[in-house]
Amino acid sequence: MKIIACYSNKGGVGKTATSVNLARAYAAAGHKVLLCDLDPQGASGFYLRVKPSKKLTDARFFEDVARFTKSIRASDFEGLDVLPANMTFRDFDVFLSRMRNTRSRLKKALISAGSDYEVIILDCPPNFSTLSENIFKAADRIVVPVIPTTLSERSFDQLVGFFDANKLSKKKLTAFFSMVQQRKTLHLETMDTMRKHYRKRFLHSSIPFAADIERMGQNRAPVSEFAPRSAAGLAYQVLYDEMENGVVSKR
Amino acid sequence: MARVKNCFVIPGTFDEAGFAKSLKELTLRFEATEPAGNFDILDCHDQSLRASGKVLIQTDGSLFLLRGGGAKSQRCKGKGKLVQDLPDGPVKARLAGFPKLRALMNVGAGRAKHRSIAILGDLQKTQVRGTMMLLSSGQGQVTVVTVQHMRGYDRAYKTVCEKLTKLEGGKSKARPLFDWLFPDATIYKAKPEIRVSKQEPSIEVATDIIRTYLAVARQNEAGVIDDIDTEFLHDYRVSLRRVRSVISLFKDVFSPEQSVALRREFSGLMEPTGRVRDLDVYLLEKDSYFNLIPPNLHEGAVAMFAEFEKERSQALGRLSRRFRTQGYDNQMKKLTELFADPTNLQPGPNADRPAYENARALIWKRYRKTCKLARGITPNTPDEAVHNLRIDCKKLRYLMEFFAPLFDAEAFKTIIKPLKKLQDNLGLFNDFSVQQEALLNFVKQHTNKQGRADAQLALSVGGLISVLDQRQMAERDRVITSFKHFDSPDIRHLFRSLFHQKEG
Repeated sequence: MKIIACYSNKGGVGKTATSVNLARAYAAAGHKVLLCDLDPQGASGFYLRVKPSKKLTDARFFEDVARFTKSIRASDFEGLDVLPANMTFRDFDVFLSRMRNTRSRLKKALISAGSDYEVIILDCPPNFSTLSENIFKAADRIVVPVIPTTLSERSFDQLVGFFDANKLSKKKLTAFFSMVQQRKTLHLETMDTMRKHYRKRFLHSSIPFAADIERMGQNRAPVSEFAPRSAAGLAYQVLYDEMENGVVSKR
Repeated sequence: MARVKNCFVIPGTFDEAGFAKSLKELTLRFEATEPAGNFDILDCHDQSLRASGKVLIQTDGSLFLLRGGGAKSQRCKGKGKLVQDLPDGPVKARLAGFPKLRALMNVGAGRAKHRSIAILGDLQKTQVRGTMMLLSSGQGQVTVVTVQHMRGYDRAYKTVCEKLTKLEGGKSKARPLFDWLFPDATIYKAKPEIRVSKQEPSIEVATDIIRTYLAVARQNEAGVIDDIDTEFLHDYRVSLRRVRSVISLFKDVFSPEQSVALRREFSGLMEPTGRVRDLDVYLLEKDSYFNLIPPNLHEGAVAMFAEFEKERSQALGRLSRRFRTQGYDNQMKKLTELFADPTNLQPGPNADRPAYENARALIWKRYRKTCKLARGITPNTPDEAVHNLRIDCKKLRYLMEFFAPLFDAEAFKTIIKPLKKLQDNLGLFNDFSVQQEALLNFVKQHTNKQGRADAQLALSVGGLISVLDQRQMAERDRVITSFKHFDSPDIRHLFRSLFHQKEG
C-alpha cells in the first residue's frame, strides 16, 4: 500500500483538484484507490458527488476501524473509492494532541482500514498542525502544488524549513507548479528560480491555470470525465505518468 | 453484506417504466446500448448444466454463466469445446465437474441485446450499476439483469434487489431460463424412465424398452455426423446394445424366427460402429498411454497415434455417410414402426407371462449362472473364463435395470453397488487385454514381408504391452476380491428374497 498526501501549507493552490484528478488517473491505470478527504470542507467528496459522512467523527476515524471502513463509498469510477469528510474533522488536531504516539496515529488507522487498497490519496487541510505532522509521517510521498508566485515561494520555503527543523525526510516532498500562466513573466521567472533552488524537489510537469479545472465544481467530476483532451486533462495525465513511471514529457 | 444474489431472470418483456417507478427516490438511467447480436445457450447433449440449475450463454466472444442468482463471465468462446480445453477463468472454474468427455454444444439460440444501467441517487451519483441482457428466441423472451453492489451504498442495492426479485415473480414462479426461452424443447436422456407394471405381459415390456432405446439411438446420429464429442457414438452403441440384450435376454418372448432375425439386424447396425469406437477409446487414453512408458520410448507411440487419428477420421467419415443414406434411415424407420405396437411382433411362448414373474425367473437364473462361473475362477483358470464372467455380469445388470421399477429401490441399490465394482474390474481387465491385442495387430500391420518392424514403433509397443499385461494381471486379482464382496452372505440373501422366495 502506498500513501500519497496532497498537501500545501497555503490555501487555494489546487490541492483538491490535484487529489481528485490524480486519484482518477491512478484508478484508470488499474490501481485500487482510496481517496481520503481529510479537509473538513469536504471538497473532494463534493467533486465526486459523495455526501459527507455523518457517522464518522475524528475519534472514530482513529479508533473505530469498522466505522471508518463503513464510511467508505464507491465513486462512479471503477477502482476509486472515497472516504468522505466530516465537519468534526476540524477537531483532528485537538484530538490528536491529546493522544500518545501522536505522530503515527494516522498511519496506523490507514493501514488497518485501508488494506483493500493499493494507493491511498490524502486530501489534506492547509496548515501546520499535529494532523500535518501525522500526514508527513504517514505518507510515502507528499505532493505539493505550488503556484509560481512570491507568496507561494515563501510558503514552500517555510515547508522545507519545517522539514529541516523537524528532521523529516525531504525526499518525500514532490512539488509541482500549479495554476501556471505561461504568459505571466513573474510565473516563468519564479519557476526558473525555484527549479534552480530546489533542484530535486520539482517535477518537470506542471498544471496550467485552466477554466476546465474550475468547471469541475459544476460538473462534479474529474477533468478527464468531461474534458479528457483539454490542456488540463492531459496535464494531469502527464503528472501521473511522471510521478508513477518517471516518464518526463518533452512538451 | 451478503452479495450472493446479483443476477435476476425476468420472464417476458421487462417493464422499464414500472421498474423505474418502483425505485421511488432513485433514478434509473440507461447507458450504452450495444448493437443486438446472437446468443447461443451452450450445454452438452444430455443438458448436464441445465439439470444442475446452470445456464451458459455465449454472445459474441463472451461466456456468461448463471447459477443460483450469481453470474460469472469470461471472454472466450465455448461452442464445440470440452470444458477442460477452455482458457482459465471464472466461468471455467465454475464449470468444474462438467462431464469430461462432453463438448459444449448449442442447445438453443436467438437474439441478444445488451444494455448498461445505472441507478442514481439524488446527486446524480451512481449507487448501483448493472447490465441488462434481453434474450429472445422464437418462442419466448427473458431479461437477465445483473447488478453490482457499490461500496457504501448498501441501501440502494438492497432496494434494487428487492424490486428485481419481485419482477422475477418470487420463488413459486421460478423456472429455469432455458424453459422460458425454449418451452417446447425435448431434453435428451440417455436412460429414459420406462414404466413397467407387475402384471404387464412380457412382450409389452420388451417392446417398450426396445422402442425407447431405438429413439435414444436415433437422437445421437446427428452428433456422430457432426463429430461433436465421442459420447454420441458411445450412447448410440449402448442404446442398441440394450435393444439387442432385450431380444436375447427376454427368452421366448418373441417367436424364435423373429428373435434370430432381429438379433441379426441389430448386430448389423452395431457392426459398422465398432472400429470408430475402438479408435475413440485409444485416442481418449492417449495421455495415459504416454504416461505408461518412459519418454525415450515416446517416438513410436507418437507415430502410432497419428495413424490412429487418421484412421479414425476415415472410419468416422464412412459411418457418417452411412448414417446419412436413405437406406439406413428407412431401416431405422421400419424398426421404429415395428416396435410402435406389441401386436406388430410375433409372440413367443413367454409373450404373455407377467413381467414380475418373468423378471424374477430371468434374474434368478442369470444370477446363479454368473455365480457358478465366478466361483470357479482361480488364479489358474484361463482368461477366457474371466471374459465370460464379464459378459454374464453385464447381462445380469441389464436384466436388473430393465426390471428395476418392479422391485424395492433400496434393495436394488445394495445389490448393484458391489456388482458395479466387480464390473468395473472386469471392464478394466478386458480393456487391458483388448488393448494388447490391438497393439500387437498394429505392429503386425506395420511389419514387412521379411518380418521386420520399425524399431521405434516396436520399442513403444513392446513397452506398452508389458505394462498393460502387468495391469491386466493385477486387475484379475481384483476381480476375484470384488466377486467375494458381491458373493457375501448378505447379498446372496437379498437375491434369494427378491427373486426366488415364494411370495407370502
